[in-house]
Amino acid sequence: MNRLLICFFILFLPSLTLFGQSKYTISGTIKDKKNGETLINVSASLLEQPSIGTVCNEYGFYSLTLQEGTYKIIFRFIGYRSDTFLVALKSDMKLDHTMSLETSLLKEVVVNSKRKDDNIRKAEMGVERLDVKEIAKIPVIFGEKDILKTIQLLPGVKSAGEGNSGFFVRGGAADQNLILLDEAPVYNASHLLGFFSTFNSDALKDVSIIKGNSPAQYGGRLSSVLDVKMKEGNSQKYNVTGGIGLISSRLSIEGPIQNDKSSFMVSGRRTYADVFLKATEDYKDNSLYFYDLNAKANYRFNDKNRVYISGYFGKDVLAFGDNFKIDWGNTTGTIRWNHIISPKLFSNTSLIYSNYNYNIKLNSGGTDFNINSQIKDWNVKQEFQFFPSTKNSWRFGFNSIYHTITPNKFEGEGINNETKQSRYSLENALFVNNTMKIHERFNLDYGLRLSMYTVLGGDTYNIFDDGKLKDSVVLASGEFGKTYYNLEPRLQFSWMLNEVSSIKGGYARNTQSLHLLSNSTSANPTDQWIGNSYNIKPEISDQISLGYFKNFAENKYQFSVESYYKNLQNQIDYKNGADINSAPDIESELLYGMGRAYGVELLVKKTEGKFTGWIGYTLSRTERKIDGINNNDWYVAKQDRTHDISIVGMYELTPRWSLSGLFVYNTGNAVTFPSGKYNVDGNTVFLYTERNGYRMPAYHRMDIGATYTKPHKKNYESSWNFSLYNLYGRENAYTITFEDNPNDPSKTRAIQTSLFRWVPSITYNFKF
Amino acid sequence: MQYKNFTVISLLLLSSCTKEINIDLNSSDAKIVIEGNISNEVGPYYVKLSKSVNFSESNIYPPISNAIVVISDNVGTIDTLIEEVSGTYKTQKTIGVPGNTYNLTVFIDGNKYTATSKMPIPVKLDSLKFGSFSGFGGDDSTYTVIPVFRDPESYGNNYRFIQTVDGELDKSYIIFNDNATNGIVNQRPIFSSDVDVRKNSEVKVEMRCVDPETYLYFYSLSQIAGNGPGGGTTPSNPPTNITGDVMGIFSAYSTQTITQIAP
Repeated sequence: MNRLLICFFILFLPSLTLFGQSKYTISGTIKDKKNGETLINVSASLLEQPSIGTVCNEYGFYSLTLQEGTYKIIFRFIGYRSDTFLVALKSDMKLDHTMSLETSLLKEVVVNSKRKDDNIRKAEMGVERLDVKEIAKIPVIFGEKDILKTIQLLPGVKSAGEGNSGFFVRGGAADQNLILLDEAPVYNASHLLGFFSTFNSDALKDVSIIKGNSPAQYGGRLSSVLDVKMKEGNSQKYNVTGGIGLISSRLSIEGPIQNDKSSFMVSGRRTYADVFLKATEDYKDNSLYFYDLNAKANYRFNDKNRVYISGYFGKDVLAFGDNFKIDWGNTTGTIRWNHIISPKLFSNTSLIYSNYNYNIKLNSGGTDFNINSQIKDWNVKQEFQFFPSTKNSWRFGFNSIYHTITPNKFEGEGINNETKQSRYSLENALFVNNTMKIHERFNLDYGLRLSMYTVLGGDTYNIFDDGKLKDSVVLASGEFGKTYYNLEPRLQFSWMLNEVSSIKGGYARNTQSLHLLSNSTSANPTDQWIGNSYNIKPEISDQISLGYFKNFAENKYQFSVESYYKNLQNQIDYKNGADINSAPDIESELLYGMGRAYGVELLVKKTEGKFTGWIGYTLSRTERKIDGINNNDWYVAKQDRTHDISIVGMYELTPRWSLSGLFVYNTGNAVTFPSGKYNVDGNTVFLYTERNGYRMPAYHRMDIGATYTKPHKKNYESSWNFSLYNLYGRENAYTITFEDNPNDPSKTRAIQTSLFRWVPSITYNFKF
Repeated sequence: MQYKNFTVISLLLLSSCTKEINIDLNSSDAKIVIEGNISNEVGPYYVKLSKSVNFSESNIYPPISNAIVVISDNVGTIDTLIEEVSGTYKTQKTIGVPGNTYNLTVFIDGNKYTATSKMPIPVKLDSLKFGSFSGFGGDDSTYTVIPVFRDPESYGNNYRFIQTVDGELDKSYIIFNDNATNGIVNQRPIFSSDVDVRKNSEVKVEMRCVDPETYLYFYSLSQIAGNGPGGGTTPSNPPTNITGDVMGIFSAYSTQTITQIAP
């Protein structure tokens, strides 16, 4: 396979030099007229020949190279009014443009946006883009709109549990998702034990998820890329938006700093459950809250240079009096420099900082204990985008990350834990990706990523065999240790069967050098990240996927069926009875193995009209085989769910009222239940026969919501959002535990715990 | 560390309900369970042989009679145990001495099962210290108990504590090792989700110095026992030091007990 792909490269490289003398380039940036935000994925094409065109990149930049001549160029974007320009192309030229929303007043204007069929045309597979405005209408628990909960409603993406923002993609583990906020990796995307995500929707501009077939510029995780981009800030006028909910409140301010040159956005959110706790006698000494802050500013030096600075800061705090306190949080920062080198060559340089840490403080009898851990990254990314012709575009560059990982460390009086050091490593990647139109009907997207992970000195690395120490490697500070090289080919294509349907296929290899160790059945803020070492090798996944895409009724309905098969190598798990907190070297507690996942995903979507929504269904299987677990036999992974259905509907009843509803059903998680019991030392001990041999009861739930938009008063807009989570009060099993029956000591019993029946919520949103 | 218990409580605050349910659990082949203990207290010592039962059955475990049970040690004692009551075998001449190694051999229906355990040298338990503690929404009147002892200079000491409060046995598994606390006076408290220590409670703490295999066995049980909202480990059978397809543990330990009244 690898050799074949390299042949592809050689074959297509000459296309770089194939542009002739009399061609000129028209390029520019497309923005939203209302707020000056750059628009992503706007299509720029010839009015008469819609197949000749391009789309704007993630910074709103487009470049179109054509023969000298006169053209009608049309800009199209869903939800926006299309605009056509007559252009006499005699030399390279610049055409910036601002687009207006398609409002009801403009309904009479003929909206000629036939290109709503990108879903079938583009070679990309397993990609979903979320409209942040649309998300606001979908009912969610506590009325807190949340992109991570919304993506769980898409086929192939599964929730990690009731009300949980963790997710599994195509059989991957939760740590196999690359979650990027303005290019910075977010290591723990959840607040409050997973019930909220770290993403405050008010601060977001664009969200997309790629399920395994990511282009070569992305790498480092096996299963998916969730690419979240923050708003740039309104460059036209000042805006204040906010919301008051039962659990939390939000406030954002954005506006221009210098007209048309610079703008900013600051957005904050905080929960206030602890305010109520303080008011009660019993709970007044406790804290339970989180907050997050997003900020972004950009400055345009001139037509060719623009700088963006963005940051995120979030923290969770949970404390009981003076005895116990746990806090955890992410900090990210990104500085980006967009530079238009030539009309055909776009450059972006990013300097990225990312940090996740947690702290646990315990006090008992006047003695303090501390448990803490941290992962910190410095990250440089350089990417070039080259647009030689309308049929061809390239992305290439490098990424270099310096990781500092401080493992779970005990500190305090009465603790001596001098053995655990911070570990350093370097994760480098070179990538090149080419998107080309080989034929009117055939689009190809292929690329190659070279990943390199180097263990750096400053610590002793132990080599274990079957949990027993075999050898040690002492690396001096600054010394280079073992380096893992991985070549990751990626390829995907689309073949248009006719104007409304296509077949797509793809293959992608992904590798992962950072691993989240978790021994619990649900995500904990204290799960630890660990890098490759002399024992831990990069995880590798190979995914093949094939799909059929069809649009109906002038692209109002989209239908797709995608199937995938994924093979996983070097998967990691804790051994039974692993000592996760105090083992001198956690690597002695690990086991390695492999995995496989396969499935079919169906999606029917209605994108226009008063009624919009989708039905998604996934039929899948996910298995693991780890040496030392389940007698070394294959077993179904915890996240294996045979059937997974989501139905989402939104209906615009009147211009003031819109209604929404959703229904989800999935097979219960695979779990390990006892098959017998015995007695040791006076206690009942349960006997287990097979890993994950049982199923939790099936999970299903319906939520409804309604939004009332108040008539605008001058510049003041406001709306009320009502929602009811778990409409019919289904008691979904969150956990099932087994214990001696306290009423009859001669018996044991099973206890089911359910969360959240009928959670109503109300949120007031405003903007001025 | 049992901090997971606290996250459990905070989850429950958000709203939850529990109920007893019926689950159709598979039946399993009865497994042999061997539990043997030797301590530095005066004997006799006992080895119990029984079989596991299905989950739905009563907690009555069929004893295994007519087995041959032999305990030998590294000072030349070979002791064939006598079945006192059905399934319970009693030593005749074994003396528990710290530092000695004990070997257990059991023959059941012609199959042989063996285990070895070395009795650790006792570490002196000095006293109990009481620290005030309040949980989530809890009152301030509860205490945690800190067993005060100095861990020896070298690594590799393992402890199991058994706490009884006002005559009520704490069913939680309490185990420490010295990975992070080698050579210093213990300040780690006993966290228990099973019993509360209050003003004037009579607290009895037995400290057992155990071998690493016994530590691992009870540590594994403690991890599984934490299985609730907020996470427990995927359950598995705890790793045993007995060869053959059996459950249970053979443990030689040294023991001390202190009883104190909470202030």
